[in-house]
Amino acid sequence: MNLEPMNLEIMNGRYLYCIIEGSEIASFGKIGIQGNEVYTVPYQDLSAVVHNCPAKPYQSENDKILRRWVVVHQKVVDTIWKRYGVVIPIGFDTIISGHAGMGPEENIMNWLKEEYDNLKAKMEKIRDSAEYGVQVFWDSRVMAHKITGESVEIKKLNQEIKSKPRGIAYMYRQKLKDLIKKDMENHADRYFKEFYEKIIPHADDIRVEKTRKTEDEDKQMLLNLSCLLPKGASKKLGEELEKIEALEGFSVRYTGPWPPYSFV
Amino acid sequence: MEPQRNTNATLVDLLDRVLDKGLVIHADVIVSVAGIPLIGVNLRAALAGMETMLKYGIMQAWDERTRAWETENRSKNKNAVAQGEEIILRMLGACHSTEGIYTAWRYGYLYLTDKRLFLYHEDFGEVLFEAPLEKIRGLVVREREQISDEKVREELYLLIEGEKVCRLTALNVHQLKEALEKRMEEAGLALRENWEAPLVEEISAEFLADVEQVICTGKMWYLMDKEEITDDTWRPGQLYLTDKRVCWYCDPARKVGIEIPVSGIKVSVMETRARSNVMAKEKVMDVLYASNGARKVATFSGPLLDEWNQIVNKIITGQSESEGEGETETCPQCGMAALIKDLLKEGCTSCGWVSPSKSKGIHEVKLPA
Repeated sequence: MNLEPMNLEIMNGRYLYCIIEGSEIASFGKIGIQGNEVYTVPYQDLSAVVHNCPAKPYQSENDKILRRWVVVHQKVVDTIWKRYGVVIPIGFDTIISGHAGMGPEENIMNWLKEEYDNLKAKMEKIRDSAEYGVQVFWDSRVMAHKITGESVEIKKLNQEIKSKPRGIAYMYRQKLKDLIKKDMENHADRYFKEFYEKIIPHADDIRVEKTRKTEDEDKQMLLNLSCLLPKGASKKLGEELEKIEALEGFSVRYTGPWPPYSFV
Repeated sequence: MEPQRNTNATLVDLLDRVLDKGLVIHADVIVSVAGIPLIGVNLRAALAGMETMLKYGIMQAWDERTRAWETENRSKNKNAVAQGEEIILRMLGACHSTEGIYTAWRYGYLYLTDKRLFLYHEDFGEVLFEAPLEKIRGLVVREREQISDEKVREELYLLIEGEKVCRLTALNVHQLKEALEKRMEEAGLALRENWEAPLVEEISAEFLADVEQVICTGKMWYLMDKEEITDDTWRPGQLYLTDKRVCWYCDPARKVGIEIPVSGIKVSVMETRARSNVMAKEKVMDVLYASNGARKVATFSGPLLDEWNQIVNKIITGQSESEGEGETETCPQCGMAALIKDLLKEGCTSCGWVSPSKSKGIHEVKLPA
């Protein structure tokens, strides 16, 4: 759906995609959400990349539509990134409006002015780098079996349970559950640290993200990191991750390169 | 390993970033969306998964998983009720168990079917008590006063073929009794009239606080202190292990001879020694404990001593694990040692690392200079 900006009041918002280094007004064509034209609003040597929209957020009950918008947003940022080499990406649905006599463009420029030093510093940090996602999973069944096999105490307890009368066996089983649980947690801690230590030397910066539940009950996420890697580092990290993947019971998801969303 | 980015699988990673990250603009002129959910609920839910919260964010899921795994490893009665069996009544109940030294009320669901009465522990798939109806010879309801409060608990005493007496209790004992009698009458089974269940002697249990749970009890000899009498003397009695203390009741003296709070017990060890000058060497159990700052020993001897020793030691291990105050760990970022609880609660005082479950997901990790 194409909304030509005929009435300035209706299109009092500017949908923000990212900030780039540049001082010209440039247009990238109608690549924006809902086919809007994407262009730049410069202030000195920094520019905001925007499209015109009504001054209210994009909302939809329909997940497919939302997903589409988000994907388009990322495609725009990606295109700009390829062209300009460094971008400060902005999250979905960030819209600056005009008010009280000030148009939205003016507001953008004022904001760029206020944040100038901050933005410049951020540019330096992320220059020639990209964000990569690293997730390590373990198969909890494999791990639990491994632990049971390795632990002398657990093996012994297992044996004892078989020969006990019901009442005592019940108590023993409680004990066994606790032992296994504790052991698993300890292992998880150790692995988390071990992998973290292996990964961090490759990155300029790291964010520890929340782990997510997986579709598979047995597969559990142990580690979820966003890494800021300088150019060329992704290969080395990939080799490190291969070693982890080779360990029994572990699997790795390595994603990217993304514009550095997590580091701005 | 190559990083992936343009597959269906990586869409979630992308959405994660575009929706939740990116430069945050603090300006008056940002169109405010406070309180308005921008993103469809399903999409949000799909991305969020169900975030687990403990420590590094995995233990809750792990917890559910392992419990399920452990359950699978036990032989399990998938279905307590047999084919063709009809359930007449099902209610919460308990039976008084006296296996080995494990004496306590064991809880589960009482099932009265057209063929039998049984108590079933659903989580463990265990039948705690079972009696085919034709084996029930007598039944009577007794009232049992609780010591501390005015509540009266009713118990159902059953005489099982031979001379076995079983004690049961349930949410509604009278309803159970009536249903049982009715069914037995239907089935043409006769009950002994006016059967008086033998009185269960539990005078010695009076000293136990009502909230205390007896884990096990049994006959035990205790070596009396030298201070009280001239010679080492063994006295017969009843040993109780509750969730709070180890308690030995002296039968002849009709009073508690010694009690040791569970938290004070250090260890329990078995030894084979001469019990007295004339008797041959026998197994004894020494319980080392702390009392009023001093280290003491209580010595016991009697039947099933090995089991007592094991159980006491299990209780001790359970005790120290739940404390865990002194456990230390190293900070994943800088390697400085600190108490676990401090690391998780406050973060690392050395480098500023904060556990992911403490921060809201995104935080600054300062690299060492």
